[in-house]
Amino acid sequence: MKKRLLSVVLSIAMLSTLFAGCSSKTATEASSQAASTGTASTVSTGSKSADPADYKVVMIVKQSDSWFDDMATGIEQLKKDTGLNVSVQVPEVGDAASQISIMEDLIAQNVDAICVVPNDPAALVPTIEKARKAGIVVVTHEAPGTADNVDLDVEAFANEAFGELFAKNLAKAMGGKGKYAGFVGGLTMETHMAWYKAAVNYIKKNYPDMQNVADEPYEDGNSVEGAHDKALEVLKAYPDIAGFFDCSAQGGGICEALQENGKAKTVKVVSLALPSMSSTYLKNGSMSHGLCWRPADAGYAACYAAYLIASGQGVANGTDLKATGYDNIELKGHIGYGNAPLEFTASNINDYNF
Amino acid sequence: MKKKLDQYQKMLMVIIIIYSVFVALKNPQFLKVQTVFDIIKTSSTTMIVAFGLLVVMISGGIDVSFMAIALFGSYTSLYTMIKTGINNLAFAFALSAFIGVCLGLINALLINWLKLPPFIITLGTQNLFHGIMTTFISDKSFGSGVLPTCLHQFGQGTLFKIYTENGSAGLTVSLIPVLIAGILTYLILYKTMLGRGIVAIGNNEESARRAGFNPFIIRLFVYGYSGALAGMMGIVYAAQVNALYPNKMVGDELMIVAAVVIGGTKITGGQGKIFGSVLGVLIIYLLNSTLILIGLSSSWNNLFVGAILVIAVAVTSYQERVKNRNHLIFTE
Repeated sequence: MKKRLLSVVLSIAMLSTLFAGCSSKTATEASSQAASTGTASTVSTGSKSADPADYKVVMIVKQSDSWFDDMATGIEQLKKDTGLNVSVQVPEVGDAASQISIMEDLIAQNVDAICVVPNDPAALVPTIEKARKAGIVVVTHEAPGTADNVDLDVEAFANEAFGELFAKNLAKAMGGKGKYAGFVGGLTMETHMAWYKAAVNYIKKNYPDMQNVADEPYEDGNSVEGAHDKALEVLKAYPDIAGFFDCSAQGGGICEALQENGKAKTVKVVSLALPSMSSTYLKNGSMSHGLCWRPADAGYAACYAAYLIASGQGVANGTDLKATGYDNIELKGHIGYGNAPLEFTASNINDYNF
Repeated sequence: MKKKLDQYQKMLMVIIIIYSVFVALKNPQFLKVQTVFDIIKTSSTTMIVAFGLLVVMISGGIDVSFMAIALFGSYTSLYTMIKTGINNLAFAFALSAFIGVCLGLINALLINWLKLPPFIITLGTQNLFHGIMTTFISDKSFGSGVLPTCLHQFGQGTLFKIYTENGSAGLTVSLIPVLIAGILTYLILYKTMLGRGIVAIGNNEESARRAGFNPFIIRLFVYGYSGALAGMMGIVYAAQVNALYPNKMVGDELMIVAAVVIGGTKITGGQGKIFGSVLGVLIIYLLNSTLILIGLSSSWNNLFVGAILVIAVAVTSYQERVKNRNHLIFTE
């Protein structure tokens, strides 16, 4: 009896998968049809007016958190300002696979442009190519490595300039002399390392009285705990250290370590920082400077750039993307650099809530 | 703790002493009270969960979900406190430990019901608990500004402070939960019938059953206990980093399993010592926190821990074999 029941259940299951297979096949057929008609419509884009309301632009963010919540407010603002049909898609988990499936959906819907902040740029390349083949404009943010595969990659700043900003602020806080140490999330993280190198070179050139205690940066593993533990060690190994800079957003851990050792007043910290996670440290003086860029402005600029490209107006050197810091884009290959670093101190930290 | 150290613990002590002398010769900065205080502080969270894991492993089980439980408990209770404005440390510990017990009991029930290896079950619940938390509770990070102030006071609190010409160093308050967990574990393992039951089912479940122990009840207890300690540890962790993240801790389980195994606990159950686990955790943190002092990069840490782990497991199994031969048991 049991066996019979089982066989019935099994055959129903098999049948249903068969049907499911059929229906998904029809779905893909439909989508490929949509895609092919899509190509046709983009070919005739020339006849489409430049009215922003005619263009559907979708931004895919990395995941749901306060950083991307702020980016969404920027995109909301863009919608209000220009009437562009722009929206935000938030993957449930922060990985490449969920971004790919959202992109596939959007390709099927034949949107005009997709903006994406990739979790793993290289993994998205095949899907990006598929979208572009279907005539969809693709704009990325925070992915200079794969810029050649997209229409445009929007960056908040050139990495060298941002790295030098760490150096300038640290030198100012330390009075231009003393020993310092630099932290990165990991030695393999491209942007962290670029900032670290730019900062160290700048200090070497301009502040001969400042010495880096190590040839390589220390790794905090992108965790506050890591930054805290490593800072305790550095304090022990180099008791006369006078400053830290952290290229991953974990400077709070260093500040905690300084407070424990009663050194918060004498040792200076400059760190990449989120306002919501670092306001306490800036206010109590243990962190002298936080550096960052505004996600709202980056999202605004990326989506506006996507519209400009989709409507045939294009982005060139000096194009104004209407967002603060992105009013004079410096175009290098497929990368558009803004000049939009954000610096926090105790006095302006309350203006930001991401 | 036992008055006499066994051979194996002596070996761990020797490793710690030799390594410390080596570091001190390389860099005299190591010879400071502050070094001891720092290691106590950074290892305190690991210590607490290591005790819980020790009890589970002695009972013949394994738990790799305790970090997810710690995260679930601390995140949920602190999130509640942020939303309702409660500012009471005891409440945080109580709620978090309570959630920990509940999740631990779920582990035990699943293991008992499905009769699957605890490793698979807890590997599943690790993801399950974390997923439930981020899906149904929240997945936002909270900075020190919004966290209850009592938490920060606890995290930065010291039992006493010493002042040097170069700043100050204090002995962390986190030592208190560690001592509580350690003493409690000692009492349970060595002073109660329950403790004997835990060791008994770790050695041979069927014999334990025939001797009148109820493996189900014992299992409920060990996983619940591990969950309670994990919940406590979550609060200590959040207090120390002074921030609340929805994705920290999970993923660090195996380092703690390694510490407990280095401490001489048999992975098949029935054998394990509290002081051994303490030494195991200390070795890992000692290696971890002295690399900058001797000027090596962080990749050396993995090398050291890996080497010591392999040696430790080899030595325990060798001792076991020698003991078995002496008792005329031939297993191989």
